[in-house]
Amino acid sequence: MLHWIQYLRGYVAVKVWGYSVERLLNLCGNHDVLVWDIEDHGDYHTMRMSIAGFFALKPLLKKTGTRAAVIGKYGMPFFVSKMLGRKLFVAGLLGCILFWCLASRFIWDIRIEGNFALTEDVLMDYLEEQGIHTAMKKSALEIAELEQALREDYDLITWTSVQLRGTTLLIHIKENEMPVYDNRNKADSDKGMDLVAEKEGVVTYIITRSGVPQVACGDSVQKGDVLVSGAVPVYNEDTTVRRYQYVQADADITLSYARNLSLEEEVAYDEKCYTGESIEIPVVGTGEKEVAFRIRKVPYDFYDTSEEKKQVQLLDHLYLPVYYGKRTVQEYEIVPKMHTEEEMKTLLQGRWRKIIATLNEKGVQIAEKNVTIKKNEKKWVLHAHMQLEESAVKLTPTITPPVKEDEEENPQTD
Amino acid sequence: MESLKLPKDTMLGAAIVTITGNREAFIENYKGILEYTTESIVLQGKNARICFEGSSLSIDYYTNEDMKISGKIDALRYI
Repeated sequence: MLHWIQYLRGYVAVKVWGYSVERLLNLCGNHDVLVWDIEDHGDYHTMRMSIAGFFALKPLLKKTGTRAAVIGKYGMPFFVSKMLGRKLFVAGLLGCILFWCLASRFIWDIRIEGNFALTEDVLMDYLEEQGIHTAMKKSALEIAELEQALREDYDLITWTSVQLRGTTLLIHIKENEMPVYDNRNKADSDKGMDLVAEKEGVVTYIITRSGVPQVACGDSVQKGDVLVSGAVPVYNEDTTVRRYQYVQADADITLSYARNLSLEEEVAYDEKCYTGESIEIPVVGTGEKEVAFRIRKVPYDFYDTSEEKKQVQLLDHLYLPVYYGKRTVQEYEIVPKMHTEEEMKTLLQGRWRKIIATLNEKGVQIAEKNVTIKKNEKKWVLHAHMQLEESAVKLTPTITPPVKEDEEENPQTD
Repeated sequence: MESLKLPKDTMLGAAIVTITGNREAFIENYKGILEYTTESIVLQGKNARICFEGSSLSIDYYTNEDMKISGKIDALRYI
Protein backbone atom coordinates (compact mmCIF):
# COMPACT_ATOMS: atom_id res chain seq x y z
CA MET A 1 0.00 0.00 0.00
CA LEU A 2 2.75 2.39 1.03
CA HIS A 3 4.60 1.50 -2.15
CA TRP A 4 1.61 2.46 -4.25
CA ILE A 5 1.26 5.80 -2.53
CA GLN A 6 4.95 6.43 -3.01
CA TYR A 7 4.68 5.44 -6.68
CA LEU A 8 1.66 7.66 -7.29
CA ARG A 9 3.29 10.69 -5.68
CA GLY A 10 6.67 10.02 -7.21
CA TYR A 11 10.05 9.79 -5.55
CA VAL A 12 13.73 10.23 -6.34
CA ALA A 13 16.83 8.25 -5.53
CA VAL A 14 19.54 10.64 -4.28
CA LYS A 15 23.24 10.22 -3.86
CA VAL A 16 24.58 12.26 -0.92
CA TRP A 17 28.19 12.88 -0.05
CA GLY A 18 30.13 15.41 2.02
CA TYR A 19 31.00 16.33 5.56
CA SER A 20 28.17 14.92 7.71
CA VAL A 21 25.43 12.83 6.22
CA GLU A 22 24.21 11.87 9.70
CA ARG A 23 23.47 15.51 10.41
CA LEU A 24 21.56 15.79 7.19
CA LEU A 25 19.45 12.81 8.23
CA ASN A 26 18.68 14.44 11.58
CA LEU A 27 17.68 17.66 9.84
CA CYS A 28 15.50 15.73 7.41
CA GLY A 29 13.77 14.17 10.41
CA ASN A 30 13.22 17.54 12.00
CA HIS A 31 11.88 19.04 8.79
CA ASP A 32 9.47 16.18 8.26
CA VAL A 33 11.21 14.95 5.16
CA LEU A 34 10.69 11.20 4.94
CA VAL A 35 13.78 9.36 3.75
CA TRP A 36 14.02 5.62 3.22
CA ASP A 37 16.34 2.93 1.90
CA ILE A 38 19.39 4.69 3.25
CA GLU A 39 22.54 2.82 2.31
CA ASP A 40 26.17 3.46 3.02
CA HIS A 41 28.52 2.99 0.10
CA GLY A 42 31.68 4.10 1.85
CA ASP A 43 32.37 7.55 0.46
CA TYR A 44 28.77 8.34 -0.36
CA HIS A 45 25.27 7.45 0.77
CA THR A 46 22.17 6.77 -1.28
CA MET A 47 18.63 7.32 -0.15
CA ARG A 48 15.17 7.81 -1.48
CA MET A 49 12.79 10.67 -0.79
CA SER A 50 9.62 12.26 -2.11
CA ILE A 51 9.77 14.96 -4.76
CA ALA A 52 8.61 17.57 -2.26
CA GLY A 53 11.24 16.28 0.15
CA PHE A 54 13.96 16.74 -2.42
CA PHE A 55 13.01 20.37 -2.97
CA ALA A 56 13.06 20.94 0.80
CA LEU A 57 16.55 19.44 0.92
CA LYS A 58 18.38 22.38 -0.61
CA PRO A 59 18.78 24.61 2.50
CA LEU A 60 19.61 21.55 4.58
CA LEU A 61 22.43 20.60 2.22
CA LYS A 62 23.86 24.08 2.57
CA LYS A 63 23.68 23.91 6.34
CA THR A 64 25.39 20.54 6.63
CA GLY A 65 27.96 21.05 3.92
CA THR A 66 26.86 17.99 1.95
CA ARG A 67 26.02 17.67 -1.70
CA ALA A 68 23.29 15.70 -3.39
CA ALA A 69 22.63 14.41 -6.91
CA VAL A 70 19.57 12.71 -8.28
CA ILE A 71 20.42 9.25 -9.60
CA GLY A 72 16.95 7.97 -10.37
CA LYS A 73 13.41 9.21 -10.79
CA TYR A 74 10.50 6.91 -10.10
CA GLY A 75 6.72 7.12 -9.99
CA MET A 76 3.70 8.40 -11.79
CA PRO A 77 4.65 12.09 -12.25
CA PHE A 78 7.86 11.12 -14.03
CA PHE A 79 6.12 8.43 -16.06
CA VAL A 80 3.47 10.89 -17.24
CA SER A 81 5.98 13.52 -18.28
CA LYS A 82 8.00 10.86 -20.09
CA MET A 83 4.89 9.67 -21.90
CA LEU A 84 3.98 13.21 -22.91
CA GLY A 85 7.21 13.24 -24.85
CA ARG A 86 6.06 10.21 -26.81
CA LYS A 87 2.98 11.67 -28.40
CA LEU A 88 2.42 8.95 -30.98
CA PHE A 89 2.64 6.24 -28.38
CA VAL A 90 0.16 7.94 -26.13
CA ALA A 91 -2.13 8.59 -29.07
CA GLY A 92 -1.92 4.93 -29.97
CA LEU A 93 -2.66 3.87 -26.42
CA LEU A 94 -5.63 6.20 -26.15
CA GLY A 95 -6.82 5.12 -29.59
CA CYS A 96 -6.61 1.52 -28.49
CA ILE A 97 -8.65 2.17 -25.37
CA LEU A 98 -11.17 4.16 -27.37
CA PHE A 99 -11.45 1.40 -29.96
CA TRP A 100 -11.94 -1.12 -27.20
CA CYS A 101 -14.70 0.92 -25.60
CA LEU A 102 -16.43 1.46 -28.95
CA ALA A 103 -16.01 -2.13 -30.11
CA SER A 104 -17.50 -3.50 -26.92
CA ARG A 105 -20.78 -1.79 -27.78
CA PHE A 106 -21.31 -4.18 -30.69
CA ILE A 107 -22.02 -7.87 -31.05
CA TRP A 108 -19.07 -9.59 -32.63
CA ASP A 109 -20.02 -13.23 -32.41
CA ILE A 110 -23.24 -15.22 -32.49
CA ARG A 111 -23.34 -18.72 -31.07
CA ILE A 112 -26.22 -21.12 -31.22
CA GLU A 113 -26.46 -24.10 -28.92
CA GLY A 114 -28.92 -26.91 -28.50
CA ASN A 115 -30.03 -27.15 -32.13
CA PHE A 116 -30.24 -30.57 -33.75
CA ALA A 117 -32.88 -30.58 -36.42
CA LEU A 118 -32.58 -26.88 -37.24
CA THR A 119 -29.16 -26.26 -38.69
CA GLU A 120 -27.04 -23.33 -37.71
CA ASP A 121 -27.27 -21.92 -41.24
CA VAL A 122 -31.06 -21.88 -41.11
CA LEU A 123 -31.04 -20.10 -37.78
CA MET A 124 -28.34 -17.67 -38.89
CA ASP A 125 -30.41 -16.79 -41.96
CA TYR A 126 -33.43 -16.33 -39.74
CA LEU A 127 -31.47 -14.04 -37.41
CA GLU A 128 -30.30 -12.06 -40.42
CA GLU A 129 -33.92 -11.60 -41.46
CA GLN A 130 -34.71 -10.38 -37.97
CA GLY A 131 -31.94 -7.81 -38.34
CA ILE A 132 -29.58 -9.58 -36.00
CA HIS A 133 -26.08 -9.99 -37.35
CA THR A 134 -22.51 -9.60 -36.26
CA ALA A 135 -21.28 -6.03 -35.91
CA MET A 136 -24.73 -4.81 -34.85
CA LYS A 137 -25.18 -2.52 -31.89
CA LYS A 138 -25.93 -4.20 -28.61
CA SER A 139 -28.50 -1.56 -27.80
CA ALA A 140 -30.51 -2.48 -30.92
CA LEU A 141 -31.01 -6.01 -29.61
CA GLU A 142 -34.31 -6.85 -27.95
CA ILE A 143 -33.59 -10.07 -26.13
CA ALA A 144 -37.11 -10.84 -24.95
CA GLU A 145 -38.56 -10.15 -28.39
CA LEU A 146 -36.01 -12.37 -30.07
CA GLU A 147 -36.76 -15.22 -27.70
CA GLN A 148 -40.46 -14.89 -28.37
CA ALA A 149 -40.01 -14.61 -32.14
CA LEU A 150 -37.88 -17.75 -32.22
CA ARG A 151 -40.53 -19.71 -30.34
CA GLU A 152 -43.37 -18.37 -32.45
CA ASP A 153 -41.75 -18.81 -35.85
CA TYR A 154 -40.43 -22.30 -35.28
CA ASP A 155 -42.87 -24.86 -33.90
CA LEU A 156 -39.93 -27.13 -33.27
CA ILE A 157 -38.40 -24.79 -30.72
CA THR A 158 -39.98 -25.21 -27.33
CA TRP A 159 -37.61 -23.18 -25.17
CA THR A 160 -35.22 -20.34 -25.87
CA SER A 161 -32.69 -18.42 -23.89
CA VAL A 162 -30.82 -15.49 -25.38
CA GLN A 163 -27.86 -14.12 -23.51
CA LEU A 164 -25.34 -11.41 -24.15
CA ARG A 165 -22.01 -12.45 -22.79
CA GLY A 166 -19.48 -9.72 -23.41
CA THR A 167 -19.66 -9.19 -27.15
CA THR A 168 -20.99 -12.67 -27.83
CA LEU A 169 -24.67 -13.32 -28.41
CA LEU A 170 -25.45 -16.73 -27.01
CA ILE A 171 -28.66 -18.34 -28.21
CA HIS A 172 -29.67 -21.50 -26.44
CA ILE A 173 -32.65 -23.39 -27.76
CA LYS A 174 -34.41 -26.63 -26.96
CA GLU A 175 -36.12 -28.50 -29.73
CA ASN A 176 -39.27 -30.48 -29.37
CA GLU A 177 -38.36 -34.12 -29.19
CA MET A 178 -41.86 -35.23 -30.21
CA PRO A 179 -42.27 -35.41 -33.99
CA VAL A 180 -44.34 -32.67 -35.57
CA TYR A 181 -46.94 -34.01 -37.97
CA ASP A 182 -47.46 -32.44 -41.30
CA ASN A 183 -51.07 -31.31 -41.36
CA ARG A 184 -51.09 -29.75 -44.78
CA ASN A 185 -52.84 -32.64 -46.52
CA LYS A 186 -55.49 -33.05 -43.88
CA ALA A 187 -58.85 -32.01 -45.07
CA ASP A 188 -61.16 -29.71 -43.23
CA SER A 189 -63.75 -31.81 -41.51
CA ASP A 190 -66.70 -30.27 -43.34
CA LYS A 191 -65.09 -30.13 -46.80
CA GLY A 192 -64.50 -33.20 -48.91
CA MET A 193 -61.37 -33.95 -50.90
CA ASP A 194 -61.33 -35.70 -54.28
CA LEU A 195 -58.55 -37.78 -55.73
CA VAL A 196 -57.84 -36.49 -59.23
CA ALA A 197 -55.68 -37.96 -61.99
CA GLU A 198 -52.48 -36.06 -62.62
CA LYS A 199 -51.76 -37.77 -65.93
CA GLU A 200 -53.57 -39.29 -68.84
CA GLY A 201 -53.55 -43.11 -68.71
CA VAL A 202 -55.28 -46.35 -67.88
CA VAL A 203 -56.24 -47.35 -64.33
CA THR A 204 -54.53 -50.65 -63.61
CA TYR A 205 -55.10 -50.92 -59.88
CA ILE A 206 -57.56 -49.30 -57.51
CA ILE A 207 -58.31 -49.97 -53.86
CA THR A 208 -60.43 -47.34 -52.17
CA ARG A 209 -60.26 -46.74 -48.46
CA SER A 210 -62.59 -43.79 -48.25
CA GLY A 211 -64.70 -41.94 -50.79
CA VAL A 212 -66.65 -43.10 -53.83
CA PRO A 213 -64.58 -44.53 -56.68
CA GLN A 214 -65.56 -43.08 -60.06
CA VAL A 215 -63.42 -45.37 -62.18
CA ALA A 216 -62.74 -49.09 -62.36
CA CYS A 217 -59.70 -51.12 -63.34
CA GLY A 218 -59.06 -50.83 -67.05
CA ASP A 219 -60.77 -47.45 -67.47
CA SER A 220 -58.97 -44.76 -69.43
CA VAL A 221 -58.77 -41.44 -67.69
CA GLN A 222 -57.79 -37.95 -68.73
CA LYS A 223 -55.72 -35.55 -66.72
CA GLY A 224 -57.94 -33.86 -64.14
CA ASP A 225 -60.56 -36.62 -64.03
CA VAL A 226 -61.97 -37.37 -60.61
CA LEU A 227 -60.94 -40.89 -59.66
CA VAL A 228 -62.35 -41.07 -56.15
CA SER A 229 -64.96 -38.57 -55.02
CA GLY A 230 -64.96 -37.17 -51.54
CA ALA A 231 -68.73 -36.71 -51.54
CA VAL A 232 -70.41 -39.86 -50.26
CA PRO A 233 -74.13 -39.86 -50.98
CA VAL A 234 -76.67 -40.74 -48.33
CA TYR A 235 -79.78 -42.24 -49.92
CA ASN A 236 -83.43 -41.91 -49.16
CA GLU A 237 -85.55 -44.99 -49.10
CA ASP A 238 -86.58 -44.36 -52.66
CA THR A 239 -82.89 -44.51 -53.60
CA THR A 240 -82.75 -40.78 -54.29
CA VAL A 241 -79.89 -38.91 -52.78
CA ARG A 242 -80.81 -37.26 -49.58
CA ARG A 243 -77.56 -35.47 -48.89
CA TYR A 244 -73.84 -35.87 -49.23
CA GLN A 245 -71.37 -36.70 -46.52
CA TYR A 246 -67.98 -35.23 -47.22
CA VAL A 247 -64.83 -37.21 -46.57
CA GLN A 248 -61.23 -37.09 -47.63
CA ALA A 249 -60.84 -39.54 -50.48
CA ASP A 250 -58.11 -42.06 -49.89
CA ALA A 251 -57.14 -44.85 -52.27
CA ASP A 252 -54.24 -46.74 -53.80
CA ILE A 253 -54.44 -46.08 -57.52
CA THR A 254 -51.98 -46.95 -60.24
CA LEU A 255 -52.17 -45.33 -63.65
CA SER A 256 -50.45 -46.87 -66.61
CA TYR A 257 -49.30 -44.76 -69.54
CA ALA A 258 -46.93 -45.00 -72.46
CA ARG A 259 -43.91 -42.80 -72.95
CA ASN A 260 -41.51 -42.47 -75.85
CA LEU A 261 -38.02 -41.22 -75.47
CA SER A 262 -35.05 -40.71 -77.73
CA LEU A 263 -31.48 -39.88 -76.87
CA GLU A 264 -28.93 -38.64 -79.37
CA GLU A 265 -25.19 -38.71 -79.14
CA GLU A 266 -22.85 -37.30 -81.81
CA VAL A 267 -19.82 -39.34 -82.74
CA ALA A 268 -17.65 -36.30 -83.44
CA TYR A 269 -16.80 -33.99 -80.57
CA ASP A 270 -14.39 -31.25 -79.64
CA GLU A 271 -12.08 -31.97 -76.78
CA LYS A 272 -10.49 -29.35 -74.60
CA CYS A 273 -6.81 -30.09 -74.23
CA TYR A 274 -5.01 -28.07 -71.60
CA THR A 275 -1.58 -27.08 -72.82
CA GLY A 276 -0.24 -26.81 -69.28
CA GLU A 277 0.36 -23.09 -69.67
CA SER A 278 -1.26 -21.04 -66.92
CA ILE A 279 -1.04 -17.65 -65.23
CA GLU A 280 -1.95 -16.85 -61.68
CA ILE A 281 -3.29 -13.35 -61.03
CA PRO A 282 -3.80 -12.09 -57.48
CA VAL A 283 -7.23 -10.56 -56.97
CA VAL A 284 -8.53 -8.24 -54.27
CA GLY A 285 -12.12 -7.13 -54.17
CA THR A 286 -14.89 -5.64 -52.14
CA GLY A 287 -18.56 -6.13 -52.97
CA GLU A 288 -19.04 -6.00 -56.73
CA LYS A 289 -15.73 -4.40 -57.50
CA GLU A 290 -12.63 -6.41 -58.11
CA VAL A 291 -9.06 -5.50 -58.86
CA ALA A 292 -6.77 -7.93 -60.64
CA PHE A 293 -3.05 -7.32 -60.33
CA ARG A 294 -2.13 -7.73 -63.97
CA ILE A 295 -1.55 -5.06 -66.56
CA ARG A 296 -0.84 -7.04 -69.71
CA LYS A 297 -3.48 -8.97 -71.63
CA VAL A 298 -3.78 -12.72 -71.27
CA PRO A 299 -1.68 -14.08 -74.17
CA TYR A 300 -3.91 -17.10 -74.94
CA ASP A 301 -6.61 -17.56 -77.62
CA PHE A 302 -8.68 -20.03 -75.61
CA TYR A 303 -8.55 -20.14 -71.89
CA ASP A 304 -10.49 -21.12 -68.79
CA THR A 305 -10.59 -18.87 -65.78
CA SER A 306 -11.10 -20.11 -62.29
CA GLU A 307 -11.09 -18.03 -59.14
CA GLU A 308 -10.39 -18.94 -55.58
CA LYS A 309 -11.46 -16.29 -53.15
CA LYS A 310 -11.38 -15.96 -49.42
CA GLN A 311 -13.28 -13.46 -47.39
CA VAL A 312 -11.44 -11.61 -44.66
CA GLN A 313 -12.62 -13.08 -41.39
CA LEU A 314 -11.99 -11.57 -37.99
CA LEU A 315 -13.87 -13.94 -35.70
CA ASP A 316 -15.95 -17.08 -36.15
CA HIS A 317 -18.91 -15.27 -37.66
CA LEU A 318 -17.49 -11.88 -38.41
CA TYR A 319 -16.67 -11.41 -42.06
CA LEU A 320 -15.44 -8.16 -43.50
CA PRO A 321 -16.77 -7.29 -46.97
CA VAL A 322 -13.29 -7.65 -48.40
CA TYR A 323 -12.00 -10.73 -50.11
CA TYR A 324 -8.76 -11.77 -51.69
CA GLY A 325 -7.59 -14.68 -53.74
CA LYS A 326 -6.13 -15.66 -57.06
CA ARG A 327 -7.46 -16.08 -60.54
CA THR A 328 -5.96 -18.92 -62.53
CA VAL A 329 -6.01 -18.65 -66.30
CA GLN A 330 -5.37 -21.95 -68.06
CA GLU A 331 -4.76 -22.18 -71.78
CA TYR A 332 -6.40 -24.91 -73.81
CA GLU A 333 -6.63 -26.05 -77.39
CA ILE A 334 -9.69 -27.45 -79.11
CA VAL A 335 -8.97 -30.81 -80.68
CA PRO A 336 -11.66 -32.46 -82.87
CA LYS A 337 -12.01 -36.12 -81.97
CA MET A 338 -14.26 -39.11 -82.62
CA HIS A 339 -15.79 -41.31 -79.96
CA THR A 340 -14.98 -44.99 -80.26
CA GLU A 341 -17.81 -47.50 -80.36
CA GLU A 342 -17.12 -48.48 -76.78
CA GLU A 343 -17.25 -44.86 -75.62
CA MET A 344 -20.52 -44.26 -77.48
CA LYS A 345 -22.04 -47.26 -75.76
CA THR A 346 -21.03 -46.12 -72.28
CA LEU A 347 -22.18 -42.56 -72.98
CA LEU A 348 -25.65 -43.59 -74.14
CA GLN A 349 -26.02 -46.22 -71.44
CA GLY A 350 -25.00 -43.72 -68.82
CA ARG A 351 -27.68 -41.28 -69.91
CA TRP A 352 -30.29 -44.05 -70.16
CA ARG A 353 -29.48 -45.32 -66.65
CA LYS A 354 -29.77 -41.82 -65.28
CA ILE A 355 -33.29 -41.49 -66.73
CA ILE A 356 -34.36 -44.82 -65.22
CA ALA A 357 -32.89 -43.85 -61.88
CA THR A 358 -34.82 -40.56 -61.93
CA LEU A 359 -38.04 -42.42 -62.71
CA ASN A 360 -37.41 -44.85 -59.85
CA GLU A 361 -36.77 -42.00 -57.52
CA LYS A 362 -40.15 -40.50 -58.40
CA GLY A 363 -41.82 -43.82 -57.61
CA VAL A 364 -42.55 -44.64 -61.24
CA GLN A 365 -42.43 -48.30 -62.15
CA ILE A 366 -41.47 -49.47 -65.59
CA ALA A 367 -43.88 -52.21 -66.64
CA GLU A 368 -42.49 -52.63 -70.10
CA LYS A 369 -39.70 -51.17 -72.15
CA ASN A 370 -38.47 -51.50 -75.67
CA VAL A 371 -35.11 -49.98 -76.43
CA THR A 372 -33.45 -49.74 -79.83
CA ILE A 373 -30.22 -48.07 -80.83
CA LYS A 374 -29.73 -46.79 -84.37
CA LYS A 375 -26.17 -46.16 -85.41
CA ASN A 376 -24.78 -44.27 -88.37
CA GLU A 377 -21.53 -42.51 -89.21
CA LYS A 378 -22.43 -39.25 -87.52
CA LYS A 379 -24.58 -40.11 -84.54
CA TRP A 380 -26.19 -42.81 -82.49
CA VAL A 381 -29.83 -42.52 -81.50
CA LEU A 382 -31.45 -44.46 -78.68
CA HIS A 383 -35.20 -44.92 -78.95
CA ALA A 384 -37.13 -46.20 -76.02
CA HIS A 385 -40.79 -47.05 -75.74
CA MET A 386 -41.85 -47.51 -72.15
CA GLN A 387 -45.00 -48.44 -70.39
CA LEU A 388 -44.89 -46.70 -67.03
CA GLU A 389 -46.98 -47.22 -63.95
CA GLU A 390 -47.34 -44.54 -61.38
CA SER A 391 -49.64 -43.44 -58.61
CA ALA A 392 -50.20 -40.11 -60.34
CA VAL A 393 -53.01 -38.69 -58.22
CA LYS A 394 -53.51 -35.61 -56.14
CA LEU A 395 -56.02 -34.30 -53.65
CA THR A 396 -58.27 -31.42 -54.63
CA PRO A 397 -61.24 -30.07 -52.70
CA THR A 398 -64.58 -31.46 -53.76
CA ILE A 399 -66.17 -28.66 -55.71
CA THR A 400 -69.64 -29.95 -56.41
CA PRO A 401 -71.27 -33.22 -55.63
CA PRO A 402 -71.83 -35.44 -58.66
CA VAL A 403 -74.47 -33.66 -60.66
CA LYS A 404 -76.51 -36.54 -61.96
CA GLU A 405 -78.20 -37.53 -58.79
CA ASP A 406 -80.06 -40.44 -60.31
CA GLU A 407 -76.94 -42.19 -61.44
CA GLU A 408 -75.55 -42.09 -57.98
CA GLU A 409 -76.94 -45.49 -57.22
CA ASN A 410 -73.70 -46.85 -58.47
CA PRO A 411 -73.12 -50.46 -57.46
CA GLN A 412 -69.48 -49.60 -56.81
CA THR A 413 -70.30 -47.55 -53.75
CA ASP A 414 -68.64 -49.02 -50.73
CA MET B 1 5.60 6.76 38.89
CA GLU B 2 5.01 3.02 39.00
CA SER B 3 1.67 3.42 40.71
CA LEU B 4 0.41 5.94 38.14
CA LYS B 5 1.02 3.38 35.37
CA LEU B 6 2.14 6.07 32.96
CA PRO B 7 4.13 5.00 29.92
CA LYS B 8 7.77 5.15 30.86
CA ASP B 9 9.04 6.27 27.49
CA THR B 10 7.09 9.50 27.55
CA MET B 11 7.86 10.20 31.18
CA LEU B 12 11.54 9.35 31.16
CA GLY B 13 12.20 10.06 27.52
CA ALA B 14 13.66 6.60 27.22
CA ALA B 15 14.29 5.13 23.80
CA ILE B 16 12.41 1.98 22.82
CA VAL B 17 14.35 -0.57 20.83
CA THR B 18 12.57 -3.55 19.29
CA ILE B 19 14.83 -6.16 17.74
CA THR B 20 13.48 -8.94 15.57
CA GLY B 21 16.01 -11.79 15.48
CA ASN B 22 19.31 -10.28 14.55
CA ARG B 23 18.12 -8.87 11.23
CA GLU B 24 15.84 -5.97 12.06
CA ALA B 25 15.69 -3.27 14.68
CA PHE B 26 12.96 -0.75 15.23
CA ILE B 27 13.80 2.32 17.33
CA GLU B 28 11.55 5.02 18.72
CA ASN B 29 12.11 8.03 20.92
CA TYR B 30 15.57 9.06 19.95
CA LYS B 31 17.06 12.50 19.46
CA GLY B 32 19.15 11.97 16.38
CA ILE B 33 21.71 9.99 14.49
CA LEU B 34 25.40 10.45 15.23
CA GLU B 35 27.14 8.00 13.01
CA TYR B 36 26.12 5.79 10.14
CA THR B 37 28.35 3.27 8.40
CA THR B 38 27.63 -0.29 7.28
CA GLU B 39 29.37 -1.60 10.43
CA SER B 40 27.84 0.67 13.08
CA ILE B 41 24.97 2.99 13.65
CA VAL B 42 25.09 5.29 16.66
CA LEU B 43 21.93 7.05 17.83
CA GLN B 44 21.58 9.77 20.44
CA GLY B 45 18.99 9.05 23.09
CA LYS B 46 17.96 11.37 25.94
CA ASN B 47 20.26 9.85 28.51
CA ALA B 48 22.48 7.51 26.56
CA ARG B 49 23.83 6.74 23.17
CA ILE B 50 22.64 3.57 21.49
CA CYS B 51 25.18 1.82 19.34
CA PHE B 52 24.31 -0.97 16.88
CA GLU B 53 27.23 -2.99 15.63
CA GLY B 54 27.12 -5.53 12.86
CA SER B 55 27.65 -5.81 9.13
CA SER B 56 25.84 -4.51 6.03
CA LEU B 57 23.62 -2.32 8.17
CA SER B 58 21.24 -0.02 6.36
CA ILE B 59 18.41 2.28 7.37
CA ASP B 60 15.09 1.27 5.81
CA TYR B 61 13.53 4.58 6.74
CA TYR B 62 14.25 7.50 9.00
CA THR B 63 11.86 10.05 10.44
CA ASN B 64 11.77 12.25 13.47
CA GLU B 65 9.78 9.69 15.48
CA ASP B 66 11.05 6.30 14.47
CA MET B 67 13.47 4.46 12.27
CA LYS B 68 14.14 0.95 11.10
CA ILE B 69 17.51 -0.67 10.74
CA SER B 70 18.11 -3.85 8.80
CA GLY B 71 21.24 -5.92 8.31
CA LYS B 72 23.15 -8.37 10.44
CA ILE B 73 23.19 -7.02 14.01
CA ASP B 74 25.98 -8.39 16.20
CA ALA B 75 25.74 -6.19 19.30
CA LEU B 76 23.71 -3.45 20.88
CA ARG B 77 25.57 -1.30 23.34
CA TYR B 78 24.60 1.69 25.48
CA ILE B 79 27.49 4.10 25.75
